[in-house]
Amino acid sequence: MSFLMTQAVLAGIVNGCIYALTGMGLAAIFKGTRVINAMQGEFSIIAAIATVLLMRGYGLPYWAAISGGIASGAVIGAVVEIMLVRPMNARNAPDDSYLLLTIGLAMTLSACVLYFVGRDSYGLPPIGGDGVIFVSDAILQEHAAWLIGIVLLLSLVIRQFYHKTTLGLSMMAASIDPDGAATSGVDVRMMRTCTFALGGILGAVAGVLVAPIVPVNYHLGLALTLKGFAAAILGGLTNPMGAVIGGLVLGLVESLAVVGVPSGYRDVVAFSALIAIMIFMPHGLLGHAGRKGG
Amino acid sequence: MHRWFVLVAVIAAWAAVPVVADRQLVGLLVFTAIYVIAGLGVGLLLGQCGIVNFAQAAFYGIGAYSTAYCTARLGLPNAAGFVLGIGGSAAIAFLIGWPVLRLTGYFLALATLAFGIIANSMFFEWDLITGGELGVGGIPKLAIGAFVFDTPERFYYLVWIVVFVCMLLVRNLMGSRTGLMMRAMRDSPEAAASLAIDMHWLRTKMFMVGAALGSIGGSLWAHHINFVSVHSFSIERSITLLLIPVIGGLNSLPGIVIGALFVTFVPEFFSRFGDFHQILFGLALVAVVVAAPNGIIGFGAAIIDRWKTSLATTDEAK
Amino acid sequence: MIDLLRLQGIRHSFGGLRVLSDVNLRVESAGITGLIGPNGSGKTTLFNIISGYLVPNGGDVRYEGAVINDETVQARCRRGLVRTFQTPRLFEQMTVLENVMVGVTKLTSSNLLQDVLGLSGGKREIERCRAEAEHICHRFDMVKLLDQRAGKLPAGQRRMVEIARAVAGRPKLLLLDEPSSGLNDNEIESLRSWITSLQNDGLSILLVSHDMELMSVVQEVHVLYFGEIIVSGTMAMIQQHPKVREVYLGV
Repeated sequence: MSFLMTQAVLAGIVNGCIYALTGMGLAAIFKGTRVINAMQGEFSIIAAIATVLLMRGYGLPYWAAISGGIASGAVIGAVVEIMLVRPMNARNAPDDSYLLLTIGLAMTLSACVLYFVGRDSYGLPPIGGDGVIFVSDAILQEHAAWLIGIVLLLSLVIRQFYHKTTLGLSMMAASIDPDGAATSGVDVRMMRTCTFALGGILGAVAGVLVAPIVPVNYHLGLALTLKGFAAAILGGLTNPMGAVIGGLVLGLVESLAVVGVPSGYRDVVAFSALIAIMIFMPHGLLGHAGRKGG
Repeated sequence: MHRWFVLVAVIAAWAAVPVVADRQLVGLLVFTAIYVIAGLGVGLLLGQCGIVNFAQAAFYGIGAYSTAYCTARLGLPNAAGFVLGIGGSAAIAFLIGWPVLRLTGYFLALATLAFGIIANSMFFEWDLITGGELGVGGIPKLAIGAFVFDTPERFYYLVWIVVFVCMLLVRNLMGSRTGLMMRAMRDSPEAAASLAIDMHWLRTKMFMVGAALGSIGGSLWAHHINFVSVHSFSIERSITLLLIPVIGGLNSLPGIVIGALFVTFVPEFFSRFGDFHQILFGLALVAVVVAAPNGIIGFGAAIIDRWKTSLATTDEAK
Repeated sequence: MIDLLRLQGIRHSFGGLRVLSDVNLRVESAGITGLIGPNGSGKTTLFNIISGYLVPNGGDVRYEGAVINDETVQARCRRGLVRTFQTPRLFEQMTVLENVMVGVTKLTSSNLLQDVLGLSGGKREIERCRAEAEHICHRFDMVKLLDQRAGKLPAGQRRMVEIARAVAGRPKLLLLDEPSSGLNDNEIESLRSWITSLQNDGLSILLVSHDMELMSVVQEVHVLYFGEIIVSGTMAMIQQHPKVREVYLGV
C-alpha cells in the first residue's frame, strides 16, 4: 500500500473510532429509551472543556481532571433525564417531541459553551506525549493508537455489560418490556436515567479522547452528533456494536474518498457513500432486520 | 357570525400593521412570512406523510441562488429566478427523492440529513455560481411590472398574500384524495399498500411539493435582503425550519404561523441580552417542548377543551 | 367455472425452517373457501404470499388464470385481491369514514395538479370516495361511528371498519385473516351474515378462522398442518376425518 493510502486508512480508523464512540452513545440511549439524542456531541465537547478547565483552572492532575470530565457527562445525562424527559413521559408526549427536546438542549448547551468559554478551541495533552508509532511507512500518533485501543476495548466492555451484568440486563429489559421488567423488580425509571448517564459517559470519553487530536470548540458538537448519528443508523440504531462498525466504515469512506478529490468535497463523497449504503443495504451493515422506526 | 367577525378583525389587524408599527417590526414580519412558506413545505411532509426532512435549507438555497443568479448576474426579470428555483428544486427533489424515498423512518431522516450536508458543501464549492463565502450581492428588489416593492411595508403585503395563496393550496391538498392517501400512508404503510396506494410515487410527489415551497421562500428572501451567502443554508437552517411546524403544532395551518412567529421573534427578543440570547432561545424551545409536546396549537386546544369542560360542569352545578 | 385463485405447489422456508410444503388450493368465483389449522401451521405466511407481501421460494400463485408471482401488493389489489390483517391495521388518526374512503381510492383517480388547485375534477373524485364509503358504512351498520377516530374504537368495531374498508374497493377476492378474533358472539353473528351477503353479491372469500360458527358458511375447507394441506372437503367431512381429529383433538 502506498504511503498516502496507509496514512488515509489510519486517519479513517482514528476518526472512525470517534464516530463509533459517539454512535455507541446514541445507540445506547435509543436502545434504552427510544429517544434520539441530538446532544450527544455536546456531551463530548463539554466533557473535554471541563477537563481542560479542571487542569488549567484548578490545577488538578491529569487523571483527576479526566475523571471529572467523564463524570460531567454522566451527570448532565442523568440530570436531563430526570428533570426533562421524565415529565414528558408522564404526559405521554409523542415520540417526535423527544427529538425536539434534545435538539433544543443541544442548542442550549452549545450556546452555553459559547457564552461561558468563548469561541476558542481547547486541546488536551495527548496520551503518550508526542510519541509516534510507525505503521509501514506511515506515522500514527501514540495517542491515536491508544484511542483506537480504548474504543475497541470499550466496545467489548459495553457488549459484556449489556449481556452479562445485572445492570445491563435490567436496562435492556426495561426498554424492551417495561411492564414485565417492573414486575420482575426492575426500577424502570432508574434504568432510563442510567441509560442517559451511560450515553453521557460514552460521549464524555469520546470528547476526552478527541481533544488532544482536534481541539474542541462550541461548534464541534453538532458535527460530531451528525457523524455519530450516521454511524448509529448504519449499525442498525438499536445495536451499540453495530455503531462501532458503522463508525469505522464512515471514517474509512470519508478518508479514502478524499484521496485524489479536493478536500472541500470530503463531506459530499462521504455522505453520498452513506446514502448509497443505506439504499443498497436497507437493513444496516449488519444485515439484521433490527432497523427501527421503519 | 362569530367566526366571520374574528376573521375580519384578524385581516384588519394584519393590514394595519405596516401603518402603525415601526419598520423593524414590519421587516421581522416579512421574515416570518418567508418562514411560513418554507416551513409549510417541511410541515406538509412531516404532518401529512410522517417524513422528517432535514434538507429544506438546500431547496431554500436553490431558490435563493436561482434568484440571485438570474437577477443579479444575468439581469433577467424576477420571474425567471422563481421559475428556475422552483423547477430546479422540483427536479432535484425528484432525482434525490426517487432513490432515497424508498427508505423509511430514521434511515430516511438520515438520508435527508446527508443530502442537506452535501448540498451545503456544493454551495461552498461551486463558488462561481454561488459566490461561496463571499456570496452574491446586488439582488434587486422584487418588482411586478413597473411597481417595485422597495420598502418593507410594500413587500410585507406581497409576501403575506403569497403566504395566503400557499396555505390555500396546501389546504386543498390536505382535503383532497391525495391528502387522504398521504395520511393513510403516514398512519399505516402496510395497510395503505394493501389498498393499492403507491406510496413511493406519492412520497416523491410530496417531496417535490415541499421543495418547491422551500424554493419560493428562498427566492423571496433573496429579494428581501438583496444578498445571499452560503452560511444561510446550513443544517442549522434546516433544523430551524423543522422546528416551525413542530412548535406550532403538526397538521395545523395556523400552527405553522405560530411556529414561524416563534422562530423569528424569540431570537430577536432575546438578542438584547447579547451573547446570552442563544442560551435563552434554546431554553425557550425546551420549555415549549416539555410543556406542550403537541405543539402550541395542541396546548391551546387542550386548554380550550378544559375550559369548555369546566364551563359545562359549572352549568350543570347551577 | 374458472378458479379465481389457484395456488400450485407453493413452498416456502424461513432460513432453515420449512413453513409451507407443496400447498395446492383453489377458490372459485363467488365461492367461500376456508383454511383452518393450528397456530404456526403457516396460514399467515400463505396469506402474505397470496397478497404479495412475501415471494414464495417455489410454486405459482394464479389469479384469474394468470401467474401473478411477480406482481406487487398494490398491483394485486388493483386486480381485486384484497386482504385484511390478523390484527386490524387501521389508520389510527383518521376517522372511520376516512378509513373506509381510503379503501375506495383505488376506484377513483386524481392528479396532483387537480388536488392542489382544488379543481372540480379533484373534488369530484373525493366526493365519489365519500359517497361510496358512506354507502358501505350504511350497509355495515356503522353510521353512528362515521366521525369517530379509528384509534379510539374497541376491538370488535376495529375489525368491522377494516373489513368495510377492504370491501369498499369492490374486490373480487377477499382474504380474511382470523376476522373473528376479538369479537363477541353478537359481532360474530353479524360477521357471518355479512360474509354470506357479500358472497351473494359475487365476492369470493378465502377465510382463515378458528371459529366453527363462522366456518359454517364455508363451502370447501382446507386443513393446513405444519405447512401441508392434509385434508380438503366440506366442513361436515373434515370434522369426521380421522386425521383432523388426531391433529385437533389428539384423538
